[in-house]
Amino acid sequence: MHLITCNRCGKENQDHYKFCLGCGNELARPAPAPAPTPSAALGNDGPIETARTVLPPAPIGGVSGAMATTASSGELRSSAAVAKPKSGIPWNDSPKMPAPVPFSLPPNPLAGPAPAARATGAAAQPSTTPAPVRMTGGPAPASDTVSCPNCGKAVQTGFAFCGACGTRIGAATSGPQPRTMFMAGSTSAAPAAAPRGRLILIRPDGSEGGSHPIHDGDNLIGRGQAPLFDADAYLSPRHAELSIGPNGVTIRDLQSLNGVFLKIATEEPLESGDIFRIGQELLRFEVISPPQALEDGTEVMGTPNPGFWGRLSVIVGRDVDGSAFPLFGEAIVLGRERGDILFPEDGYVSGTHARISLHDERVFLTDLGSSNGTFLRLRSERVIPTGSYMLMGQQLFRLEFR
Amino acid sequence: MSVRPCPNCGADIPVDNRFCGSCGAKIDLPAPAGPAKTMFFGATQPAGKAKLTVIKGEGMDGVTYLLNATEHVAGRTEGAIMFHDDPLLSPRHANFTYRDGRLHVIDEGSVNGVFIRIKASVILGPGALFLIGEQLLQVEPSPPDLGPQPDAEGTYFYASPKRPSKMKLIQRLRGGEIGMIYRSRSDTISIGREGNDVNFLDDPFISGRHAQIAISPEGQVTLTDLGSKNGTFVRINDEIALDHGDHVFVGQQLLRVEIT
Repeated sequence: MHLITCNRCGKENQDHYKFCLGCGNELARPAPAPAPTPSAALGNDGPIETARTVLPPAPIGGVSGAMATTASSGELRSSAAVAKPKSGIPWNDSPKMPAPVPFSLPPNPLAGPAPAARATGAAAQPSTTPAPVRMTGGPAPASDTVSCPNCGKAVQTGFAFCGACGTRIGAATSGPQPRTMFMAGSTSAAPAAAPRGRLILIRPDGSEGGSHPIHDGDNLIGRGQAPLFDADAYLSPRHAELSIGPNGVTIRDLQSLNGVFLKIATEEPLESGDIFRIGQELLRFEVISPPQALEDGTEVMGTPNPGFWGRLSVIVGRDVDGSAFPLFGEAIVLGRERGDILFPEDGYVSGTHARISLHDERVFLTDLGSSNGTFLRLRSERVIPTGSYMLMGQQLFRLEFR
Repeated sequence: MSVRPCPNCGADIPVDNRFCGSCGAKIDLPAPAGPAKTMFFGATQPAGKAKLTVIKGEGMDGVTYLLNATEHVAGRTEGAIMFHDDPLLSPRHANFTYRDGRLHVIDEGSVNGVFIRIKASVILGPGALFLIGEQLLQVEPSPPDLGPQPDAEGTYFYASPKRPSKMKLIQRLRGGEIGMIYRSRSDTISIGREGNDVNFLDDPFISGRHAQIAISPEGQVTLTDLGSKNGTFVRINDEIALDHGDHVFVGQQLLRVEIT
């Protein structure tokens, strides 16, 4: 791995970091390899390729979203980071997630209350939603430390970030300008209210592509609605709607052709007819019901059911199924190399990828720490936390909001 | 030399033999003895008239029905050939009838149909069901790949990668649900208990190598029994003429046709 030397403080950083771990300065990066254009090509290799090696592995049973991961690593490492700021322990394990200025890092839940955050209505948000933090540029004590505006820990002057919780320290705002957030070309005439959130395109190489602002109220996602969506022939003109309401962000599938797929973070209950994706495979789960006699008392003949409670079908076209696999026993593991149902030709499926299990008289889908994740198609609508990953059309997005 | 089937094992034996050369059963002329039971008055079958014998498993015969009338309805609640304990039979299921001097079986619009044991190879019609051991199966030729087609709004459908296949083999479970679907890339599928393209390890009624399916470039599907012990049965369309030695499934009942 190459190291990038920070031209401000001299610390060496891993080459995929965007901000220096020592001072928070934006790192000069070698010109990135040109990202494969997400072509409007009609091949089947589009969408998941987008997700290739991009997504941080989902921690099994872990918290959802990378922002939350950041928060937890901040907790674990708070003391060490404060005492030895240059020890090389990153406060942020998720280098793809350098907190852009408008999106402050979540507060440390173990730390004291953040009045500013409360004031923005954070208390009304679901507990899984990291509360926003405002830059207060906290008053500097007489010593050579400042107290973190978020968690109150002492932070050495000159540090751009709090070692305990990762909050950007106000003084650092004099540092590098944040990257351009939104695509050019938008009418900047009216000083419209700042967007509450954004939908960030994740490129095939893992970097962030453009982003799309999410405003209060309803936001229509569709081909022709914004430059970010226009090249994707797998996106319906009216594909989905993102609504920011008092309870968070709701995503609603507008009966689009290809649907909205959310990356699952925990065990998700499956209902008959649910569709999900691992790698490039589009799969449908269905319950196999016990046989029932017809009205005249006749039963439909067939192979005696040896204990199949469900079936997993590979969708190969509109209303066309390919192979179908019976589900039986307590759990069936899906993977490329190991498991009960294998997709040996799909390089985007992990060796062991996901599990379908039956317990408590319900069927569940679990990701087994796959590289590219397991994506479940929305049945209708759902409130989602910030940091959620979703597939729409051929493209992978991450939603961030405050 | 004139032969007739042994009432015990079904082997052809010369009419004047007193014992079956195959299984040793005593041939009690003129009435069939043993487990077979006479249903209708009149012990002998006139020439050209048929008998249906219910096969109960390994060499055991059940009831024999003499088909002396013109029509003989089989069903769960109707007809002279009645099995009221068989839930796979429709109330009125099939009709064994003589026409132009030959015995025919007609599917009376039953839910589950009438199956006949194939001799060597048959051509399967679209969606035709067939029975191998306990497995009820179906072959569907893969439709030609039209390539991606946008919908009315110009949106393309995302699907799993297309892996070309010639046909698929579909397992139908009791109750009508689909169990597994096997997609074949080659133009043949062998079926059996082990060492085949598709294996049913737990089905004791399937031979090691049981049957084979082949699809022609034109999409015509042929089903061949590979000399299996219990045979391969296909569902008939509407009706079929029966010959001596044919085996017919109605519901759970396996019937052997004997025509003297």
